[in-house]
Amino acid sequence: MPNEATSALPALAVIIPAAAGVLIFLFGRFTGWLKEVLAILGVGGALAASLAIGRATLRGEILTSFDRQFYADSLSALLVVLISGIGFLATVYACRYMLHQVQDSEVPHASSARRLTMFYGWLMWFLATMLWACVSNNIIMLYVAVEASTICSGLLVAFYWDKRALEAGYKYLMLLTVGITFALFGCVIVYASGAAVLGGHRGLLLSDLRTVAGSFPITTVVLASAFLIVGFGTKAGIAPFHPWLPDAHAEAPTPVSALLSGVMLKVAIYALIRTVSLFYPHFSPVAMFVLGLGVFTLVLGDLMALAQDDLKRMLAYSSVSQMGYVLMGVGIGTQIGIYAALFHLLNHALAKALLFLAVGAVTYSTGARSISQLGGLAKKMPITGFCFLAGALAISGIPPFNGFQSKLALFVAGADAGVWWAVIIGLATSLVTLVVLVKAAQRVFWGSPPDQAAMKNVREAPLVLQVVMVVLALFCLGIGIYPKAVYAPLKAASAVVMTVGQNSTTTATKPQDRAPALTGRTSNPILVRYTGPAR
Amino acid sequence: MLNPNLIHTLSLLMIFTSFAAVEARNLRHATVAYMFQALLICGLLVAYAAQNPSLYYWAATALVTKAILAPWFLWRSTAGAVQETQPVVGFGVSAVLVIILLSAMYMFTHAHAGLFIVGATGQVAALARTNLAVAFTVFALGLYAILTRRDAVKTVIGLCLLENGVHLSLVSLAPGIKETALAGIATEVVVTVYLLLYIIGGIREKFASTDTFKLSELHW
Repeated sequence: MPNEATSALPALAVIIPAAAGVLIFLFGRFTGWLKEVLAILGVGGALAASLAIGRATLRGEILTSFDRQFYADSLSALLVVLISGIGFLATVYACRYMLHQVQDSEVPHASSARRLTMFYGWLMWFLATMLWACVSNNIIMLYVAVEASTICSGLLVAFYWDKRALEAGYKYLMLLTVGITFALFGCVIVYASGAAVLGGHRGLLLSDLRTVAGSFPITTVVLASAFLIVGFGTKAGIAPFHPWLPDAHAEAPTPVSALLSGVMLKVAIYALIRTVSLFYPHFSPVAMFVLGLGVFTLVLGDLMALAQDDLKRMLAYSSVSQMGYVLMGVGIGTQIGIYAALFHLLNHALAKALLFLAVGAVTYSTGARSISQLGGLAKKMPITGFCFLAGALAISGIPPFNGFQSKLALFVAGADAGVWWAVIIGLATSLVTLVVLVKAAQRVFWGSPPDQAAMKNVREAPLVLQVVMVVLALFCLGIGIYPKAVYAPLKAASAVVMTVGQNSTTTATKPQDRAPALTGRTSNPILVRYTGPAR
Repeated sequence: MLNPNLIHTLSLLMIFTSFAAVEARNLRHATVAYMFQALLICGLLVAYAAQNPSLYYWAATALVTKAILAPWFLWRSTAGAVQETQPVVGFGVSAVLVIILLSAMYMFTHAHAGLFIVGATGQVAALARTNLAVAFTVFALGLYAILTRRDAVKTVIGLCLLENGVHLSLVSLAPGIKETALAGIATEVVVTVYLLLYIIGGIREKFASTDTFKLSELHW
């Protein structure tokens, strides 16, 4: 039974990178290495705080700060560890990668030091706002934090300041701001209904709203769900609200692309889960709608990925598709469904960050990122090649990589809930993913290069880039071989969603007993393997 | 004590200024119309403050962010190019469309606003209904401007209208919202406007235009 404990950790996880950002903006340009050191320290501090939050929540605690405005349960813990962990690796990668990028690009009116200062400053604030979203217990501040993460990443998307980057930056800020405004309407409707039951201040707190959302009128639920799905769904890249995503993910500097695809989409899904799942126990059609949207997204994303020549755009569309899988699990709504969704969310974050960073390494060494311009790189860049292949196989759901485990759990959840149509479409689309990514890996690394001379002087990426990629690849492999390592945090995180409707501090003794959104047979032995024995 | 006549007059003027901000082809005129609308929001908030004194704080926040900072940023960004790029829909057709949209949205939301009004009766409920109808109408006009205007600066004005609509609705939907949350919401809008206009400045430099139809470097 989780107990609430007052702790500075949730606030520290946000404040440390935010403060690092302030220091970088103030002093970053004066010394050559200071901004990089501050960035590593900032995100490193956030990682340490996040790991401590994770350890506390595994002990069954819920950490709160500032009169429960910051609130970290098992679901928040999973996200903050993911954000700060991948954020740390992306920042280390950026220290080497961005120096090279800034030296190579031609941007008037701005020295390299100023541009890098801006880059690391916004990067820290971007990470801080994403962490804030995941520990915010105030439904309006959840919206504020999610929108703040868009603002903080806007100039990062437009960083290269050329025609393509500016176009991507404009679309990114405009479309996401319009989209997220719908989420504000949704949050306000939920608050207004909650405040009528709970009283003004408590109506803002997600931890209290989860106990009363079942009493809302059906019209309120339908309207709020529609606004929340459009709003947070736009940010999560859910089709048909995804058009900003391929542009932004492809044109941003690679470490930012890795964070956008690997982490930011997950923050939006987290916001969606936190808010829309409030209605699951009593309004199951909401879950069915989410499931349908997820299946539509996973198919559309992969079909679009199939047509791409630009490696980063291909990966971006693949992210759309994989977010469809996550949404499919959220829509299934049973404990195994939510568990599978969170498992796939974790695996996709690791594998997609790996793929983007591998493409960054290719761009670093060759200056190209079009599949048609590349070939035969495996001999020159073997580490990058194998890391890309590992990421491709992981996303495609091929054993022994992590994606296999989460997709299996997802399909088992779908079968258990009786939504065979979704399982069949998901399986077929997985084959398309395999074709898209492995074909790209084969052509870029093992195919014959279109221009032998252009590939002649190519060398493996610098050591720092290789180390970061290898670490991510080992995580993908390690979780694939030994998935039990992540069972406990994932199970605890999925239990948070499954106990909506109950008091959060008296978490379900039997979460499986609650009526799932779609009917599931929790006695299934395969489910027991994935979710542990029924308590 | 609430003054219903004042609130109805200000609400009606809100809709007029939205129309002017969307339809004015001169970007500076549109900016001025937007600024007047922001001042009207401040006036409405002060009028509603008779019922809920915390709205004075909202009014002050709106004055700084919506009536001073955002118009100032818009005014600066239009220096040298005040005429809007020809929109997708011509003035005559657009004006008719906007009037139809305004009327339909106002009537529809006024009829169904009761869904959101919890625990209010009599005059307070009637004013909340008017407030929500105006808010949703301004929101719809903002969305219309973003969808039909080719000029990037004009789409930012559309975004501002959209946000004004949402913020106005908070008066009735979330009167007890904490000041910190409100400050967060208001600050974000003005920062977004600033950053968008900053990027549009770059677009003007690189594309020699702010016509969004020319942003065609990236295809699906």
